[in-house]
Amino acid sequence: MTERIGLEWAYGPSEDVVVREIEGELIIVPLVAGVGDLEDELFTLNETGRAVWQKLDGRKSVRTVVSELAEEFDAPAGVLEQDVVGLLTELERRRIVVRKG
Amino acid sequence: MADRGRFVREHGEIDVPGLSLAEIMREVLAKGRPFRFRARGLSMSPFIKDGDVVTVSPLEDAAPRTGDVLAFLHPTTGKVVVHRIVRQSPGSYDLKGDNAAESDGSLPAGRVLGIVTRVERDGAAVRLGRKSGAVVAQLSRTGLLRKAVGAARRTGLRNRGRR
Repeated sequence: MTERIGLEWAYGPSEDVVVREIEGELIIVPLVAGVGDLEDELFTLNETGRAVWQKLDGRKSVRTVVSELAEEFDAPAGVLEQDVVGLLTELERRRIVVRKG
Repeated sequence: MADRGRFVREHGEIDVPGLSLAEIMREVLAKGRPFRFRARGLSMSPFIKDGDVVTVSPLEDAAPRTGDVLAFLHPTTGKVVVHRIVRQSPGSYDLKGDNAAESDGSLPAGRVLGIVTRVERDGAAVRLGRKSGAVVAQLSRTGLLRKAVGAARRTGLRNRGRR
């Protein structure tokens, strides 16, 4: 089971993904089981998801990412925190992001 | 649980444009990993049919042989094409779709992305004709394979074999 995401942790893209922006959406192909699988494992992020992804540089803490998003989107940090943690949990489970710090 | 719909595009099937497919495939193969995708078109029928799921593997140090099926960048469109080697010479391959009327001509080895190592149809592996590659290549090159496919269609025969 995945460990609860810590707000002081920092995440970055795994080396085992290929990422492309196609028609405004972020297409992520995880190299699951050593295969780049466009058929079954394709993962796409919408504009909001992409905003989160672009902040995952391996250095910023989750708390900082949430804080920056709250300012950019003029949204309550409490709600965003829950959503960002939910997204990171899924991305980490799929090995799309890894904890860097 | 958080609302993942705020971030993740919910979709049934996403249409990845040909040029983007080429970019993604090239990057996956450059990492030394196979790439799996759904093929479109009829040019390799009956070995690869529209909607089959194709796995392309990196060439690495392997030298493709006549009869092998390669994924390559089309010289004009830049899109990914999957066709068979019907003849080869140093540094280049003559490629052709088994069901195509015309050959693709001579392709520099540098435009080859990878080699097709698996084809799946309805979840089952399909024969690709690699074991008898030279014969299949000869039939493809001379157009006999295309004629045979047409005759098989008329008589209701199909490629049901498994690798």
